[in-house]
Amino acid sequence: MMPFGRRAGLALGAALSLAWARPASAQMDATRAVNFIQTTGNALVEALNSTTLNAAQRRERVASILRQAVDIEGTGRFILGRWWRVASPAEQQEYLRLFEETLIRNLAGRLGEYQGIRFSLGRSQQRTEEDVLVTTSVERPGTPAFNLDWRVADVGGQPRVVDLVAEGTSLRLTQRSEYSAVVQRGGNQVPALLTAMRGQLQQMQARQ
Amino acid sequence: MPRPMRFGPLLATALIVTGLAGCATRPPASDPEALAEFVANNDPMEPLNRGLYEVNNAIDTVALRPAAVAYRTLVPGPVREGVRNALGNLRAPTILMNDLLQGEMDRAGRTATRFLINSTLGIGGIVDVAEWQFGIRGHGEDFGQTLANWGVGEGPFLFLPVLGPSNLRDLTGAGVDAVASPWFWFGQGEVVEILRWVRTGMTVLDAREGVLDTLDTLYATSLDPYATLRSAYRQRRNNEIRNLGEPAPEAAGGTGFGVGVGATVPPAPAQSPR
Repeated sequence: MMPFGRRAGLALGAALSLAWARPASAQMDATRAVNFIQTTGNALVEALNSTTLNAAQRRERVASILRQAVDIEGTGRFILGRWWRVASPAEQQEYLRLFEETLIRNLAGRLGEYQGIRFSLGRSQQRTEEDVLVTTSVERPGTPAFNLDWRVADVGGQPRVVDLVAEGTSLRLTQRSEYSAVVQRGGNQVPALLTAMRGQLQQMQARQ
Repeated sequence: MPRPMRFGPLLATALIVTGLAGCATRPPASDPEALAEFVANNDPMEPLNRGLYEVNNAIDTVALRPAAVAYRTLVPGPVREGVRNALGNLRAPTILMNDLLQGEMDRAGRTATRFLINSTLGIGGIVDVAEWQFGIRGHGEDFGQTLANWGVGEGPFLFLPVLGPSNLRDLTGAGVDAVASPWFWFGQGEVVEILRWVRTGMTVLDAREGVLDTLDTLYATSLDPYATLRSAYRQRRNNEIRNLGEPAPEAAGGTGFGVGVGATVPPAPAQSPR
């Protein structure tokens, strides 16, 4: 834990004044979230449909966009859930490192194969207290369009993606269930998950 | 599909007997987070389910997946699409019944219109003329969803060989749908019996082909595919119950893998079969 210093004091002050000034307003407003997804989506589509880049370069480009757009630490902590507090600081750090690598490689690798992709913003944006769910429809040639929703929250003053929801299935909920099962079946030990993640990452690296 | 139903009681007994031996331990109330997760997983029979999941994987590896790959390789896409459309058209009376039972008159009207148009102009449902020419899009509906609409809880999660992920409510719903379908009652004799078996076989084949890429990706990327499927199934069903899905399900029945096995965000691109 960080000692209660100047930064924490400032953050607390900022949070209090925010709560003071706009008691009913959400942390994230819908317009900002939609604009953020529009910009990020356009950047992704441009990278994916680029004719000047080769497959590896496209993957690299997509990975860097995702690294900027996704709240990797917050999402990683959410997914580890109740095991986060069980883990030692070293395990937490190792977990976040593995999580970032796995997530970015997974998404970039899969998105990298999406040629001719198009997306359009959906009609509805649902707001909760903490975030906004921005609906998009993704189309690829020769396949029916599917719904992809982006959960956007305010992270340190910036809009960040905290979840992806495909046809009603949330990536972070599914993955939390998956990781927790690995920890439990490994005798309630977080290192069991880290070992499994390391093995998976090695396989992914071998494939690319 | 009358024949498999006769194994129903036998299967149920086997499930109960082994189920008693395979119960997961409920975490104590002193560990509220573990308890909350146990409740959220809704899987009191997890040891049994994981056993059945292994059985399913064995059957899938030697029979279902190879059959689905062969089907995709040997049968041209347009023909497979025709088969899928025809199977969907045969499901229309079941969908209509459940639209009506849920009081969804608008959706019921669309289902009935689609059935009339596709059965005639669409040559027995092979061509989806209703969507193609009239813009009337299909949707899925089943008795499991109807029960949910009536406020029936899902019951414990179940993983069944060949059928895939389910729960007590959806499995019951699938049984009711099978018996309530007019195709269960119409006709007799050897030819009808053979047609029923063909339909059952094609349904399994079409459903497995429909999730080929999704499941391949899931098994390749998940550290615990069973847990992933369990979570994704529950989320997908909740989405279906609330009728939130935009596109018509490709190869979905009430229970089982369905289309949105989820988890592959974004869905895997269509690959050539390996």
